[in-house]
Amino acid sequence: MSVVPIPTRTPSESLRPPLVDGEQTLSSLTETVCSIVERPQTPRAWYIAFAISSSLTLMLFGLIGYLIATGIGVWGNNSPVFWGWPIVNFVFWVGIGHAGTLISAILFLFRQQWRTSINRFAEAMTIFAVTCAGIFPAIHVGRVWLVYWLAPYPNQMAMWPNFRSPLLWDVFAVSTYATVSLLFWYLGMIPDLATLRDRATSRVRQFAYGLFALGWTGSARQWHVLEKAYLLLAALATPLVLSVHTIVSFDFAVSHVPGWHTTIFPPYFVAGAVFSGFAMVVTLLVPARHLFGLKDLITPRHLDVMCRIILATSCMVGYAYATEFFTAWYSGNRFEQFAFLNRMQGPYAWAYWTMVTCNVLIPQLYWFERFRTSPWLMVGVAICVNIGMWFERFVITVTSLSRDFLPSSWDYFRPTAVDVLMFVGSFGLFFTLFLLFCRFLPMVAMAEVKSVLPSPSVSES
Amino acid sequence: MSRDTGTTYWRSLNELQGTPQFEEMLHREFPEAASELPDGISRRRWLQLMGASLALGGVGGCRWEAEQFAPFAVRPTNRTPGIPQRFATSHEVGGSGRGLLVTCYDGRPTKVEGNPDHPLSEGGTDVFDQAAILNLYDPDRSDAVIEQSAGQRFTRDWSDFDRFASRHFAALKRGNGKGLFLLSEATSSPTYQRLLEELQKNHPEAVCLEYESFSRDHERSGAQLAFGRVLRPHYDFDRARVVACLDADPLGMHPAATRHVRDWAAHRDPDSGSFFNRVYSVESELSVTGAQADHRLPIQSSSIRLVTAVLESLILQRLGDSPRETSRRDPGDNSDPRLASRLPLSPEEILAPGQLRFVEALVNDLVETRGGSLLMAGPTQPADVHARVHRINEWLGNSGATVRYTAEPDAGRLSHRAAIDFLSAELREGNVDTLIMLGGNPVYDAPVEVQFGDALQKAKTSIHLSAYRDETSELCTWHLPLAHAFEVWGDTRSNEGTYSISQPLIEPLLTGRSGIQLLAAFNTGNPPASGDLGKRFIQETFYSVLPESPGRAWDTTLHDGFLAGSAFESVNVTVSSSLQSTLDAISLTPPQRSLEVVFSPSRSVYDGRFSNNAWLQELPEPLSKLTWDNAALLSPTTAREHDIEHGDVVRIGSDGRSVEAPVYILPGQAENSIGLQLGYGRTAAGTVAGHVAHNIDPVGVNVSTLRSIEHIHFENGVTITSTGRRHEFATTQEHFAIDRVGLEEISGRVGDLVREGTVDEYAEHPDFAHHGHEEIALWEQPEQDGPQWGMSIDLSKCIGCNACVVACQSENNIPVVGKEQVLKGREMHWLRLDRYFTGDMDEPEVVQQPVACQHCENAPCEQVCPVAATVHSDDGLNDMVYNRCIGTRYCANNCPYKVRRFNFFDYQLPVVQPEQSLKQLAFNPEVTVRSRGVMEKCTYCVQRIRNISILADNDRRPLEDGEVQTACQQSCPAQAITFGDLKLSGSEVATEQSKPRAYGMLDELNVKPRTKYLARIRNPNPVLKATT
Repeated sequence: MSVVPIPTRTPSESLRPPLVDGEQTLSSLTETVCSIVERPQTPRAWYIAFAISSSLTLMLFGLIGYLIATGIGVWGNNSPVFWGWPIVNFVFWVGIGHAGTLISAILFLFRQQWRTSINRFAEAMTIFAVTCAGIFPAIHVGRVWLVYWLAPYPNQMAMWPNFRSPLLWDVFAVSTYATVSLLFWYLGMIPDLATLRDRATSRVRQFAYGLFALGWTGSARQWHVLEKAYLLLAALATPLVLSVHTIVSFDFAVSHVPGWHTTIFPPYFVAGAVFSGFAMVVTLLVPARHLFGLKDLITPRHLDVMCRIILATSCMVGYAYATEFFTAWYSGNRFEQFAFLNRMQGPYAWAYWTMVTCNVLIPQLYWFERFRTSPWLMVGVAICVNIGMWFERFVITVTSLSRDFLPSSWDYFRPTAVDVLMFVGSFGLFFTLFLLFCRFLPMVAMAEVKSVLPSPSVSES
Repeated sequence: MSRDTGTTYWRSLNELQGTPQFEEMLHREFPEAASELPDGISRRRWLQLMGASLALGGVGGCRWEAEQFAPFAVRPTNRTPGIPQRFATSHEVGGSGRGLLVTCYDGRPTKVEGNPDHPLSEGGTDVFDQAAILNLYDPDRSDAVIEQSAGQRFTRDWSDFDRFASRHFAALKRGNGKGLFLLSEATSSPTYQRLLEELQKNHPEAVCLEYESFSRDHERSGAQLAFGRVLRPHYDFDRARVVACLDADPLGMHPAATRHVRDWAAHRDPDSGSFFNRVYSVESELSVTGAQADHRLPIQSSSIRLVTAVLESLILQRLGDSPRETSRRDPGDNSDPRLASRLPLSPEEILAPGQLRFVEALVNDLVETRGGSLLMAGPTQPADVHARVHRINEWLGNSGATVRYTAEPDAGRLSHRAAIDFLSAELREGNVDTLIMLGGNPVYDAPVEVQFGDALQKAKTSIHLSAYRDETSELCTWHLPLAHAFEVWGDTRSNEGTYSISQPLIEPLLTGRSGIQLLAAFNTGNPPASGDLGKRFIQETFYSVLPESPGRAWDTTLHDGFLAGSAFESVNVTVSSSLQSTLDAISLTPPQRSLEVVFSPSRSVYDGRFSNNAWLQELPEPLSKLTWDNAALLSPTTAREHDIEHGDVVRIGSDGRSVEAPVYILPGQAENSIGLQLGYGRTAAGTVAGHVAHNIDPVGVNVSTLRSIEHIHFENGVTITSTGRRHEFATTQEHFAIDRVGLEEISGRVGDLVREGTVDEYAEHPDFAHHGHEEIALWEQPEQDGPQWGMSIDLSKCIGCNACVVACQSENNIPVVGKEQVLKGREMHWLRLDRYFTGDMDEPEVVQQPVACQHCENAPCEQVCPVAATVHSDDGLNDMVYNRCIGTRYCANNCPYKVRRFNFFDYQLPVVQPEQSLKQLAFNPEVTVRSRGVMEKCTYCVQRIRNISILADNDRRPLEDGEVQTACQQSCPAQAITFGDLKLSGSEVATEQSKPRAYGMLDELNVKPRTKYLARIRNPNPVLKATT
C-alpha cells in the first residue's frame, strides 16, 4: 500500500472530528495494531499481570473443585436467601457482556462508523464476560454433576425439562447469546487473522493464524461473502441483545417474590446491562489504549460517545428505580411496598444507597465535558458504575429474598470468604482471557477501521 | 398496641449485628461432624447382636460392604419382612410413666407414638417421648462396664462386676447393710419400689434416697401442710371453666401435660357447643401455658406468694359477701374475715394498679365459676403457696370437682433436696461405704454448695448405673451401662396411676442392664442369665403388688400397654385447721425491687438427661426459638435498667455462687426476674452436648453453679454484672436483630397471617377471619378422581409444644445440622412453629403457628423448577422428586411460606460414619434419606398415605376418614391438626375447613393452599379487656 497524504480538514469537517487521529495511513494502522501482537519480547508488565490473573483463575477453579467436593454450603446462601452471590455475579457478568454485541451488531446496523475502533475490543470483552457468567449458574446448582438435565435431550427417563421455568429459558438465552457472540467476533476477525498470518515470521504463528484464518485471501468474492454473513449475523444478534437480559430478568420477574415480581424488569435490565457493559468497556479501553499506543485509533471522540451512552443509560436506570417505587406504592400491595421500603431503610440500606450513588448520582458527572474528555476521570466514574451495577444485582437478589412474605423466615445474608474469592477469581479468569487476547489477537478491527480512514480522494479534492 | 415500647426494645438489639464472637462460635458445637468421638458400636457388632433379621432392615449405606444375608429358617410369629409391627410399651421421664406405641421395622424400633388407648394421653406425646428413639440409637451411650481404681480406668465385663458384687454385697449383708447408701432418680416403677423394699429388708441399715434436679416436692409438702398427708393433686381440665396458674405450667412442664392439653383444647373450640375455658397465668417466665393464657400477669416468682395471699383475702371477702358460701367453709377457718388484714399491707399497696385489676378480675371469675374453677401453683412455689391454693380450691368448691387428690405411693421418702444434702453430709463424714446410684447425674446437677463431686470421692465404693459415662460416672469406682427403656422389661405408672409394662423392643444394643435387674441381682446374689431381660420381676409385681382388678391379665396388659382401671384412688380430704397457724408464721414480705433468678428445666433437654439428643438440642425452644443453648432470660425493661444488651454475657451471682450466661431478652419475662434453664453446660455428655475430655465444648452453661439447696427453684437478691463478652445465639426466628422498619412491618402483618378473634367477636361475626379475597382462576381446574388430601390446623388449640416438630423429624429422617448451620439459617425442620409477639413488649400476647408445606393447588414452586423435580400428584400433593432435583433452589425462592429446606451439605454424612452408624437405625425405612444438593419439604407424610392406600386397595375398599394420620397430627396432644380427604363429604378435615373461621394463609396470592388454619379464638375477661 502506498503512503496516503494526510487530509487537511475543512471547518465543516472539524465539527465532527475524524474517527482516526494522527498520522495514520493504511499501512501504519496495520503496523500499529499488528506490532502489539508481533512484538518479539513480551513486555514484563504483561507477564506480571498475567501471573496475577492466572493465579486468580487457578484459585477460582480450585474453589470450584472445593465447592463441588463439599457442597454449596461453602457459600453464604441460607434460607430464605437461596440465591446469593453466584447469581449476583452471573447477572453482573452477563450484563457486562452486553456492550460488545450492542456495539458490533446494533451500531453496525445503524451504520455508526465510530464503532469500528472499539468493536473487536468490546466483543472480546463480551465473550470473556459471558464465559465468566456461564460458570456461575452451572456451579450454583446443588448437584453439578446432573446439570446436563437442564438440556432437552432424549433420555431413558423420558423426561423433558420444564419449559415453564424461566431458568430453562435462561439456559437457552445465554447459550445462544454466547454462541452468536463468539461467531460474530470470530467472523469479523478472519481478515485480520489473515493479515497476521501473512506477516508471521515463525512457523508456529503461521500455522496457528493460518488455521484460524480459514484460507482467507482477501478476494472480492470472499469479502462479499464475509460482509453478507456479517450483516446477517448482526441482524440475528440484535434481538439477542434485548432478549438475553430480558430473559435473565424473567428469572426474577416471573417469580412472585416481592421486589422481583414486576413488569418493568425486562427494559430495566437491558438498560442496566448496556450501562454496565459500556462502563466496563471504558474501564478497560482507557488503560489499554494508553498502554498499547492505540490513541490514534481509539480517539477522545470514541470515549466521549461512550460516556454519553453511559450517561443516557444511567438516567434510564435511575428512572427505573423511581418507577419501581411508584409501582410499589401505586399497587397498594403491602408486601411490594415493604420490599422497597426495606431496600431503602432495612438492613441492606447500605447496599441500596451504594447502588443509587454509583449508578445514578456519580454518572451525572458526565454532563461535564471534563469528565468525558479526561481519560482518568472517565475511568473513575466508570469503575463506580461497575461497582454500582454489581450492587444493583445484589440489592435485587438478596434484599428481596431476605425479607419476603412470612417474617418468621426473614434472615440476613452474610457472604463467606468463598463467595468473595470466587468473585475475585472470576475477574482473574476475565483478565487472563483478556491478556491472552491482547497478546495474540488483533485488538482493533484493522480491516474495518481502514474503511473509515479519511479517504485520500477527499484530500485530493 | 404500644408500638413505642417495642420499637425501643428492638432498636437496642440492633447493635447485635456484627459481633466478633461469631467466629469463635464457628468452632463450637458442630456436634455430629466432630471427629473425636468416643467408641461407638460398629455395624458388625450390631449385626452379631441382632442376627440376620437386620439384614432385611433397609439399613442405608451398606451397599458396598460384603455382608452375610440369611433368610429366616423359621419366620418368627407375626413377622412379615418389611411390614412394620407396633408394640405398646411405656417409658418414664422424671418419674412419671407415659404410655407409648412403638413402630418396629424388622425388629428395629423406629418411631414412637402415644398409646391412643392410654388414659393419660390418648395418643398425644411430648417432645421427650418422640425423641426417645434417638437416645436408643445414640452411639455415645455407654457400652462397657468401667472400673476405676488408683486413678486408672479398666474396661470390664458384666461378669467381672457380678463377681465383685456378689463378694461385696455378701460382706455388706453381714454388716446389715451398714454404710450402704442407694440413690435413685425418681421412678414410678412398682417393681423397682418392690425390689428396693426388699433390699432395705435385707440390709436394714441401708439408706435409700431419691434425687431429682427438677423436683416437684413442693407439691408434696404443700399437700402435707394443707391436708396433713402427702398427696398428689390431679387437675381436671375437662371441667375447669376458669383456670388460674400461679407459676404453673400444666400444659407444658407437667407429668400429666398431655392429658391437660387434650382436655384444655377440647374447651378451646368455639364450635364444640361445650363451654370455652379461660386461662389466667401469673408467672415470671413465659411458659407454654402462659403463652396460651387469655390473661397473663408477668411477675417475679418470689412475689407469687404475696399475690396468692392477696388473692386469698379477696376471695374470702367475696365469699364472705356471699352468704350461700359460708356453709361450705370449714368452721375452723371461716372465723377469718380478718384474714384480709393479715396481709402486711392492703392489696392496693402490695400490687400495682394493673396487677390489682388483674387479680380482682381473676377473683371475680374464680368465684363466679366456683365448683368449675381451678387454681394451681407450680412446682417452683414453696409449700405454703401450695397449701393456700389447696385451701382456696376447697373454699371455692373445686376440691373434688376440678381438682382431686390421690395418695403418693412413696409418701415416706425424704424430699429430694434434703436427700442430696443428707447424702453429701454422710459422704463427707465418711459414713458411706458403698454408694449405689441408679440413674441420675448428681455430680452435674446437684446444687453447687453440696459439692457432690468432692463428697463422692469419700465413698469407698461408688457404683453408678447410667446410660452415659457422664460426669458422675467419671468419679465412681464402677460405672455400669444402663439399658434403654426399649431394651429391657420394666413397668411404670403414669401421673394418675395407670400401670404400664415396658417391654423390650430390641435386645440391648450396648450391653446395658436396667435398674431393676441390678437391684434384683443385689437382692438375690444371682446376676441375670444371658438373654434374661427381667421379665419375671415385672410379672411377680404384676401378680403380687397390684390391686386385684377385673381386667388383670398379663397378656392383655402387655398387649394394651396398660392395665385398665389401675389409676390411683381419689381420696377425700379437707384442709386441716392447723394450716392457718402455719401460714401465720410465714412472713409475707412486701415485694422487693431486687433481682431474682428462677431455675426451670429446659423444654428441650429437661434437666440434662436428654442433652445428648441432637433432635432436642436443635429443637427451637417454643418461645425464644433458641437452639443449641440456654440463656439468662431478661425482660426488655430490666435489661434496659441494667444496661444489658441481647447477647451480652453476664455474671449472675449470689453469696459466693455465680454463673456466667448470655442474656436473651425475651418479651413477656417478668421485670427483675432472670430465667435460667437447667440441663446445659454438660462436660461429659457426649459428642452432641459436649465432652471436655474429648475437646468437645459443652452446649450452653451449667446453671447448677448458682443453685443452692435453700434456693433450688428461685432466689431473690442476686446481682447481675456484664462481663463485656458477647455470645451469638442460634435462633430459628429473628436470626438477626430486627430494625425499626422490619418490626413495624411485622406488627402490621401478623394480624393477617395469624388471624385471631375473641369468643364474642366470633359469636357476632363468625367469618371474621375472612379478609375478603376472591380467588379467580384463569382456567378451569381439572377434576381429579380419588382422594384430595388436605389439612387444617386449629390455632385455638395449638400450644406450640413442639411435639409435632420432633415427630416430623423422626418420621421423615430429617437431619440435624448443628449450631453453626442454624446460625447460618439452614435448619432443616419440615414443620416449624412460627411464634410472634404482639402488643406491649413487656406483657405481650404470643401467637404460635405451625407451618409446613401448604401443598398449594397453584404451587409456585412447581412452575419454576427447570427440571420438573417438584410436581403435583393426582391426589393434590405437591410432590418432591429427590432423584430428579438438581438443586437450583428456585422453588424455595418462589415459595411464599419458605417451607422448603435445602441440603447445603451432606447433612446425613456424619450418620454414615462408622462410629456413628448406630444412628442409622433410627431412620424410617419408608422415607428416602436425602443427599446433598437436594431440596426437601413436608410431604403430608406421603409414605403413610401410600402404605394405607395399598392396604385399602388390597381389600378393595375406599379409604376411611381418619385412617391416614400424618406424624404431626398423630403426635399432637391438643388434636389441633386434622388431615384427610377434602373430597370425602363429612370428613373431619372437610368439616374443619368449612368452618367460618378457616382461612388460608396468604390466600391473596391465589396459590390455593391445601392447609387451612382455623383462626385463633381467645376468651378475654371483658372487664380486663376494657381496661387495657
